[in-house]
Amino acid sequence: MSTLTPFDTQISAIAEEVFAAMIDGEPGHLVALPDGAPLTDPVYAWVDMHAGVTGRALLATDVATAHDLARALLQMGADEPVGEADLVDAFGEVANVVGGNLKALLPVQGTLTLPQVGRERPDLSGATQVDAVALMWRGQPLDITVWQI
Amino acid sequence: MTLAPDTFTFVADLVRQRSAIQLEAGKEYLVESRLLPLARDAKAGSVDAYVRALRGVPQQREYDRVVEALTTNETSWFRDVSPFKALTDHVVPELLGARPGTSSLRIWSAACSTGQEAYTIGMSLLDSAPNLRVQITATDLSEEVLTRGRSGRYSQLEVNRGLPAPMLVKHFTRVGTDWEISQRLRSQVTFSKNNLLHAPPVGGPYDVVFLRNVLIYFDLATKRDVLRRVRGVVRPGGFLFLGAAETTIGIDDGWERIPVGRSSVYRLNARRAA
Amino acid sequence: MRALVIDDSRAMRRIVSGILAGIGYETAEAGDGRQALDLLEAGETFDLACIDWNMPVMNGLEFVVAVRANRAWRDMTMMMVTTESEHGQIVRALAAGAHEYLIKPFTPDAIRDKLELLGLVPQADLIEEPV
Ligand SMILES: C[S@@+](CC[C@H](N)C(=O)[O-])C[C@H]1O[C@@H](n2cnc3c(N)ncnc32)[C@H](O)[C@@H]1O
Repeated sequence: MSTLTPFDTQISAIAEEVFAAMIDGEPGHLVALPDGAPLTDPVYAWVDMHAGVTGRALLATDVATAHDLARALLQMGADEPVGEADLVDAFGEVANVVGGNLKALLPVQGTLTLPQVGRERPDLSGATQVDAVALMWRGQPLDITVWQI
Repeated sequence: MTLAPDTFTFVADLVRQRSAIQLEAGKEYLVESRLLPLARDAKAGSVDAYVRALRGVPQQREYDRVVEALTTNETSWFRDVSPFKALTDHVVPELLGARPGTSSLRIWSAACSTGQEAYTIGMSLLDSAPNLRVQITATDLSEEVLTRGRSGRYSQLEVNRGLPAPMLVKHFTRVGTDWEISQRLRSQVTFSKNNLLHAPPVGGPYDVVFLRNVLIYFDLATKRDVLRRVRGVVRPGGFLFLGAAETTIGIDDGWERIPVGRSSVYRLNARRAA
Repeated sequence: MRALVIDDSRAMRRIVSGILAGIGYETAEAGDGRQALDLLEAGETFDLACIDWNMPVMNGLEFVVAVRANRAWRDMTMMMVTTESEHGQIVRALAAGAHEYLIKPFTPDAIRDKLELLGLVPQADLIEEPV
């Protein structure tokens, strides 16, 4: 069985493009956070890539940040309440776009699953972590990890 | 973070002298944001401090960087679409008709930015006239954009800007997160530094010149000078393409405007205006 | 001009529809390929369809194939708008009958650029040349 090789800096490069183009309308709001910061009220979004190996791109951020993300993506006002469906939809779509672009870097052409979103971290027992990138979007932590499962 | 008035005046003068780009009052924010990275590189505390140091000890290379930082390099593939259709459907057939037996064309992409315009010309002609030998000279003031053009590599966001999907799959391969244009197309384009305020690049005389979306930054006298210099390196009967918001009319009457489809091309008058 | 925006993400539908509305389009939305086919089968017509690839029920590629199989829908221009971005996937979609392909993420200008290529920007919205 083949193994996933780390994506390294390509992860943040992709994430920066996604945020600049679709969320912020300009670069500079998503930056690397070398030491990372703990999440206090996490929510997770992930997609799986099947391409010879199975990999998972897992995004994690705080619920409040996911709300801001949804507001930005759905072009809502700063104080408008975000429903659960909008949070799932928006954060899931971010995972989908990041995951799809990561999949394209794999040596074998593969498929992408539909995104899933949850308050519980998905079960990754038996999985190997391939990458971990700590980012900060508008001052709030956002982590991207890639797993081989 | 407000820029000192004399910082702005100094930068605006420098940029005007070296590129003819006009930075009117009110563009202070632009100067500040574009020069901030240079100030950081130079470990200066602010843009004002950086410019003050620069004025104290003039350095040509650093002046060039300031000018480059203030150019606007916005570009895309097949920008405005119709000029490239006019090139393949009207201009090239007319050039070949006027000079039977012609097997090669020289084209100048002036103020080419990161090269999308030059490669668009190359792709269009490769598909429409595959036997034609095409030599494209692509020039810009900014070394940074020339280096990017020469590499032939574009990000996903860049290929999304106007590149037809059939051409993407035909002429590009993926390299990591980027797309790289074919060696064949890269070999047709020569990138070199040229300032439109100075003599045109060697490689002429040209059959076609693309001078798009750059005259808009210049004042009338500069536009006139640039068009006159361009005239000097265009073959009689050769063509000029300008941006959608640009024209020679009322500026330089050495050109005849020819409407083609939704846009216009300009043909060098047989009888040259003085 | 009418466009059909097909994506399982409401956020993405809203973004694409908003950009198209800005160019002068009237838009309708569908959450998957099947819902989109339902609209076409009910007799609705569109100049343009923007189609995500990965969707539940019926994916975008299946939708393109279904549209191509019906001569009555020949005039609708189909543009994939998807995060699928391998060379081979783009080739596949074009071979199935898609006319254009836009990779997510994209900037609003990118949609406009593609529509200009396709000749699908309403006349009034094109830049006029100075005379
Ligand atoms: C907006 S871009 C146009 C790119 C391309 N021609 C197009 O139409 O998409 C303008 C370019 O003009 C260049 N430029 C500005 N002043 C110049 C000068 N004096 N000489 C040469 N290039 C110049 C800038 O560096 C920039 O890359």
